[in-house]
Amino acid sequence: MTNAKTRGETIELHGDIWKHIQPGEVVLDAQGITKRYPGGVLANDHIDFKVKAGEIHAILGENGAGKTTLMSILFGLLQPDEGEIYIRGLKVRFRSPEDAIKMGIGMVHQHRKLIPAHSVLENILLGHPRSKGVMKLKEAEEEVAALAKRYGFEIDIRAKVWQLTEGEKQVVEIVKALYRGAKILILDEPTSALTPLETDRLLESIESMTQDALGVVPFITHKLPVVLAISDEVTILRRGRVVDRLKTAEATEQILAQKMVGRPVIFDLQKQPVEPGEPVIQVENLSARNNKGVMALNQVSFTVREGEILGIAGVAGNGQHELAEALFGLRPIEGGRILFLRRDITRASVQERWKLGMGYTPSERTEVGSIPDFSLIENVAMNYYFDARFNHRGLLDYGGLRRLTEQIIDEFDVATPGPDVNIRTLSGGNLQKVILGRVLSRHPKLVIANLPAQGLDVGATEFVQRQLLAAREQKAAVILISEDLDEILSLSDWIAPMYEGEMVDIIPAAEAKKEVIGAMIAGVHQQERES
Amino acid sequence: MTLGGYQVRLQRRVALPGWKAALFSILAVIFGLVLFSIIFLQAGQDPLEIYKQIFSYAFFNSYGLHLTINRFIFLALASFAFIIPAQAGLWNIGMPGQLYLGALAAFGVVYFAGGKSGDLALSAPIIILLMLAASMLAGGAYGAIAGFLKGKWGVNEIVVTMMLNFIAFYLVAFMIKDGGPFMNLGGRGESFELPEAARAPMTGGFPITLWIVFILTILLQVLFSRMSLGYQIRAFGKSPLAARYAGIKPFVIAVLVFTLGGAIAGLAGYHYFAAVPGVYKIARTYGYFGDLSFYGIICGLISLGNPIAALFIALLFGGLSIGGRYAQGKLHLGFGVDYALMGMLMISLVAFQFFYNYQILITKKERALDVDVSD
Repeated sequence: MTNAKTRGETIELHGDIWKHIQPGEVVLDAQGITKRYPGGVLANDHIDFKVKAGEIHAILGENGAGKTTLMSILFGLLQPDEGEIYIRGLKVRFRSPEDAIKMGIGMVHQHRKLIPAHSVLENILLGHPRSKGVMKLKEAEEEVAALAKRYGFEIDIRAKVWQLTEGEKQVVEIVKALYRGAKILILDEPTSALTPLETDRLLESIESMTQDALGVVPFITHKLPVVLAISDEVTILRRGRVVDRLKTAEATEQILAQKMVGRPVIFDLQKQPVEPGEPVIQVENLSARNNKGVMALNQVSFTVREGEILGIAGVAGNGQHELAEALFGLRPIEGGRILFLRRDITRASVQERWKLGMGYTPSERTEVGSIPDFSLIENVAMNYYFDARFNHRGLLDYGGLRRLTEQIIDEFDVATPGPDVNIRTLSGGNLQKVILGRVLSRHPKLVIANLPAQGLDVGATEFVQRQLLAAREQKAAVILISEDLDEILSLSDWIAPMYEGEMVDIIPAAEAKKEVIGAMIAGVHQQERES
Repeated sequence: MTLGGYQVRLQRRVALPGWKAALFSILAVIFGLVLFSIIFLQAGQDPLEIYKQIFSYAFFNSYGLHLTINRFIFLALASFAFIIPAQAGLWNIGMPGQLYLGALAAFGVVYFAGGKSGDLALSAPIIILLMLAASMLAGGAYGAIAGFLKGKWGVNEIVVTMMLNFIAFYLVAFMIKDGGPFMNLGGRGESFELPEAARAPMTGGFPITLWIVFILTILLQVLFSRMSLGYQIRAFGKSPLAARYAGIKPFVIAVLVFTLGGAIAGLAGYHYFAAVPGVYKIARTYGYFGDLSFYGIICGLISLGNPIAALFIALLFGGLSIGGRYAQGKLHLGFGVDYALMGMLMISLVAFQFFYNYQILITKKERALDVDVSD
């Protein structure tokens, strides 16, 4: 649809569109962005927002509020049905991310798209015009290093990506976008996988970027403190619409949460006192290796009784994941013993563990916890295909499974067109509700919840946490694995910080202090003891 | 994309009703036939006449129809042998090997019952049942090797089944060629002929294997849509990790699907060498039937693992291969035209599956003065 004239102009404009930017000037102006998905879902309904140079403009919204759609439109991954995008007053249309990148838009995905076996530098150069033909690696290396230094990023650009922590990978993605000339940086839930320390560091760097009059747009779901800490302005989305736009200075956590969810959110979970009963699970000296064959879980012992929540705190990669899988029989163990209801289940199969009354909600919800191409009913069947209530002499009672699924949808308030749609169409929060609802519908004696609220929005997080508390009140034992110390502190009866595959201690929650636990999961405590 | 003021867009489908899927397949066949008629026109032939010859011979000529049905039975069994492991996400490329083993086992029963020289030690119904059972057992056991290696150590099932095909091919050669135990007394490089009593009974002019195909279709349909086991196979096929988490045992699934698939391939071997009138021996050209069983892969893939759909696809290709060969001879068409036509239809069928996932939307485009940045 382009005639030669506009095409010529475009090329010319590319060169100097980003010259002479004044702080405070509107650099990105999206007007009336509307996107309707097949099936009639209105993901974006006339969304307007502006990003000014030198400003951090946060977009806040629950899962399913339309953030991802908006972001994909801004980055050229999707085309809007209606609406216009202006960059420095110039109307643009992105047919692909390539177009968006050319116009100075950079995007950092939540699920990092890096090649693990390649070095940081190679990943940064991948797709860069410089990587065509003969690469001047030396020159590129200097440029990248200078760029990183400018914004205070500490990365070893020769390291392989698989060696990096999640926080470092995030930095690599940001530097990659900047190196491609991004002037407006879109960050998708930038801190969701980071530890508190890494988060602080990242926020500092993001702030330093605005000095160069870059526009930064972080998309954030549930980390309200992050929004308050870094943004200048915040736009709140709900059900595809802008519900409010305000200066961050005028906002509080309560105000933001209420506007985002559409109802008041109670941050204080009311935990009922429950008298602990018999031991449900007793673990003795459990050891296991990680996927690389390195011992990742070392001689861990603990007991959880009826009506108790054991919170396992720790930074990712300190053995919590291996612990959860070893407990559920998904990972071979190197030593130790597991007693469930005083019965030795160390060698029991996964199916036997389900039948005995164990339940597990994995952190990998789309890869392990559900089958994306199966309907909700078929996903619920994952926990019932062996159950005599739904398996009559080898025939599955799909009618009964349908009723059960409808019941879960109802009780867990799952937003879905119905039980027959593929579960991949559900948002993250709704997916987790189905998984948790399915597991809890078995009334397990033990629930192992691996990062149950990670990546969920405020409303879904609250819901999931309440369900875990409800299971506890019904005398289930709960093992809660979380990287969020606030979550651990507010839900647990006992807290076990993990560091390098060992349980540093097991502390009654009433006596636990956040700073002490924080130090323990960072290994400080360990070093003190050793010295 | 825009065409003359209209915007053409692709949109992902949310759901596809079964009748639409069938409609697209029919359209795909018509499209393929139309496309191929260009080649006929190029060669100065009348495509309508050729298609008339092909289809009337394959489906409306009594002699041709029998050939078509026999080939259909074989292709349907080969498709099922592929579909069962495919539902578990595993590739059975070993139908030839499994069907050779099935055929050898069936002939082995006759051999040990003294049938090579003429008189059978057992009554006809018993010998036929034993032959059917032996062919399934042998094919199943041969398939199970791949399943076991896959389930136990994760050995690639494609490589294993392919290699097993070679072993089985030469095993048949050893058994039926000069000096082999199953050697034809005439020494024509083929096996001994089955005595009258060991040949599969006919019902309504077609061998009983036709009924076996229909029964298997229903059983497979029930297995995958109603049974817990079928659910477990499908769950494993969609996501092995999630299946393991749900307590489904990967080893059991791998061994099971290959045993079932192999057993059905074994039946295909039984069918062609012990049930098709006029054959009743392991022919010198047995390798041709091994290769033919690879069409089961294509039927299985086109039908997307649906046993009922596979039935229709198998019937189509069974008829085309018979009718195409006939028309080629009768109208003096070029060598290999029948295969080229089948290939064209396969490509067309696979290409039309695009419409299973996408629909094309055409909307009037509003013209806007916008700056295009895709230079």
